[in-house]
Amino acid sequence: MDVAVEIKPLRLALVGVPNCGKTALFNRLTGSRQKVANYPGVTVERREGERLSADGRTQQVLDLPGTYSLKPTTLDEAITRDVLLGRVANVPPPELVVCVVDAVHLPIGLRLALEVKSLGLPMVLALNRMDVAKRRNVKIDVTKLAAELGVPVLPTIAIKRGGADVLIEALDPALWIHHRRIAAPAWIEATAEDAEQRQKDLRGVLEAVGYHAPVENPWFARLDALLLHPVGGLLILASVLFVMFQAVFSWAEAPMNWIDGGMAGLGTWTAAQLPAGPLTSLLVNGVIGGAGAVLVFLPQILILFLFILALEDSGYLPRAAYLLDKLMGGVGLSGRAFIPLLSSFACAIPGIMAARTIPNWRDRLTTIMIAPLMTCSARLPVYALLIGALIPAKTVGGFNLQGLVMFVLYLAGIVSAVMVAFVLKHFSGARTYSPLMLELPDYQWPHLGNLLLGLWERVKIFLSRVGGIILALMIVLWFLSSYPAPPPDATGPAIQYSFAGKLGQLLEYIFAPIGFNWQISIALVPGLAAREVAVSALGTVYSMSAAGDDVAGQLSPVIAGTWSLATACSLLAWYVFAPQCLSTLAVVKRETNSWRYPIIMAAYLFVLAYVASFVTYRAVSAWA
Amino acid sequence: MNPAVSSTSTPVVLAELHRGEACVVDGLAPAELGTTPDERDAMLARLRDLGFIPGARCEVIARMWFGGDPIAVRVSGSTFALRRIEAAAVRVTRAAVVATGVAA
Repeated sequence: MDVAVEIKPLRLALVGVPNCGKTALFNRLTGSRQKVANYPGVTVERREGERLSADGRTQQVLDLPGTYSLKPTTLDEAITRDVLLGRVANVPPPELVVCVVDAVHLPIGLRLALEVKSLGLPMVLALNRMDVAKRRNVKIDVTKLAAELGVPVLPTIAIKRGGADVLIEALDPALWIHHRRIAAPAWIEATAEDAEQRQKDLRGVLEAVGYHAPVENPWFARLDALLLHPVGGLLILASVLFVMFQAVFSWAEAPMNWIDGGMAGLGTWTAAQLPAGPLTSLLVNGVIGGAGAVLVFLPQILILFLFILALEDSGYLPRAAYLLDKLMGGVGLSGRAFIPLLSSFACAIPGIMAARTIPNWRDRLTTIMIAPLMTCSARLPVYALLIGALIPAKTVGGFNLQGLVMFVLYLAGIVSAVMVAFVLKHFSGARTYSPLMLELPDYQWPHLGNLLLGLWERVKIFLSRVGGIILALMIVLWFLSSYPAPPPDATGPAIQYSFAGKLGQLLEYIFAPIGFNWQISIALVPGLAAREVAVSALGTVYSMSAAGDDVAGQLSPVIAGTWSLATACSLLAWYVFAPQCLSTLAVVKRETNSWRYPIIMAAYLFVLAYVASFVTYRAVSAWA
Repeated sequence: MNPAVSSTSTPVVLAELHRGEACVVDGLAPAELGTTPDERDAMLARLRDLGFIPGARCEVIARMWFGGDPIAVRVSGSTFALRRIEAAAVRVTRAAVVATGVAA
C-alpha cells in the first residue's frame, strides 16, 4: 500500500447486482435532488444525486449501473467497474462505496461485495430488503457478517420512510476521518481459480452468518406457472400490451382536452389584451400555439411511461423478454430487445439508450436501428390530427374506423421493424453467440413513490424540450413565415412571400410526387428537430396564411377542406417511418460512436418513407 | 458430494430437464460448439457468478417451446432465464437420484 490518503466521504457510489433495490435506496438517500446525465463518450445513464451530510456538507451520490460481477458482459457493467477503478475521464473514483446487497438473495449480492471489497476502496454494506427477508424467514447474523467482511453492515429497507437511517448515520463524514485508503484501487481480472476461491470464501461467510435460502412464496410459483406458460404467457402479454395502448388513448382524452382548452383560452386572452401587431402574433401563434400543440400530449406520454415503469418495477418485463426471446431470435433480435423496443413506443431515445443492456453488439445494433420504427408518442399528434380530420368516425365490423386506422399505423411500424431486422440479420453475416442469462426477479408491488419520481423525471425532460428546442423552433418558424412582408399588391396569403414560403415551394419539387403541398413541406423542416413540431408548424403555417389571427386549434377543418384523402394518407405513411428526428440520430451517433450508423439509419428511413408515401399516394389517388 | 451419487446417476445437463424437475449442479462444461473460447469463458464465468456452482440446488420453473429455449431456472432462491446453449453448459444430477444416494 504505497501512498495512503485520508478519506472524507463526499463522493459516494452505490454498487449492487440488478434488482437489489439499489435505485430505491438511491432515491431514499437523495430525494428528488438527482440528475440524469451521461458518462463522457458513452450514453450510459449516469444517475447522480446530492445529500447533506450530518456535518452540513454536500455528499455526491452516484448510482452505478447494476452488475453481477466486475468482469463485464455489457457496456453498463463495464462502466461500473471503470468508475470504481477511476478509469473514466472526469469521474474520480468514489471515496466510499456503498455496496447494496439484497438480504433475501444474499449469496449473489455478497459474491459481488467480496469482489468489490478486494479493490481496497473504503466500503459499507447496505443489507437491503430486510423486511422481505424477515417475512420469508431469512436469518442473517448482521454482527457476524460485519466481522467476517471487515466492513460496517447496515440493515436497510429502502422503500420505507426512515428505512435507511442507520445507513445515513454510517455515512457521516466524521466517522471516516481516521480511515485511510490506498491511492488507486487495483484490479486484476479473476482467473477461474480466483473465482473458485471467492466462491469458497462466500460459502464460508454464508455459513458463518447462518444464511439459508428464503422460504418460497407460493404466489411466485403460481404466477410464474401462468405468466411463463408458452401459450398462456404469450396471450397474457398480448393482453397487457393491448390494455396499455388502450389506456394511452382513452385515459389521456380528458386531460388532453383540458390542456387544449387552457392553451386556446390563453391564446384568445392574450390576443385580446395586446394590440394587434407582430409581437402579439409571435406570442399567440408562435409561442402559445406552438407550445400548446406539443404540451397536449404530455398525458399520453405519462400514461405510457407509467405502464412501462410499473411493469418494470413489478418484475414482469424480464419475463416478457423470456417469452419473446426465441420469436425475436428468428429475426436476429434478443429477447432483451423487448424492453428497449417497448420504451421506443414512448420515445426512441430512452429506447435506444436502454439497448445498452444487450451484450451482443450485433443484437444491440439491430435493436438501435429498428427502434425508430416503433411509433413514438411524438407521432401521435400527427396521426390524431390527420385521422380526426379525414377518416370518418363510423363503425366498421364492430370497430371504430378511426381507432382501426391508428392500429394499422402502429402495426405497419412493427411489421416494417421485423422486416428491417430480418434484412439486417442477413447482411450482418455469421451469427455469433449472444448471451441471455437474464434474471427474472421476485414479483413485487410497484412502489408508488419510486413510480412518481420516475414519472417526474420524464415530465422534466419533456417540459425542458418544449421549453427549449421546440419553443425556439416555433419562434424561428414564425419569423421565417412572417418576413419578408408581402408586397402591397400581393394577391395570395402573406406566408407565400416569406422565407418559409419560398423554402416550402423549393421542397415541393421533392415532395410533390408523393402528394405533399408546400405547407406540409415547410412543416417537415422544423419536424426534423422534434416530430411533434410538425403539427404546431402546420398550425402556424395555416394560421399565418389565413386572413385573421386564428390559433392552431382550427387546423382540423382546414385540412379536411383543402387536402385530398391521398395526400393525408401519404403523410400518415410518411410518419410511420418519419426519418426526421435529429435527437434520435444524435443519440445513435453517441451510442454507436460513429457517424456511419446514424447516416445509414436516416438514409434507410428516408427511402422507406418516400417509397411508402409514393405507393400510398398513387394507390389512394387511383382508388378514390 | 457423495461419490455414490455421481457413479449411480447418468450425466445430464440442465437443458434436458423437464418443467418441475429439481437437480444439483455438478459443474460447468460447455459441450456446444458455435462459441469462441472467449465467449465460452465469459459465459462460464457469468453462470458461476449467478450461482451455478457445484452443490447448488436448481429447479426448472418453465420451458418455452423449441425444446426449452429459453428455460427458466431457479437456483438458490433466484430465477434466471437461460438460452439452451447456456443451460447445456451446466452439468447436473437429478435431485431424485441425490435423495436416494443420500438415503443409501
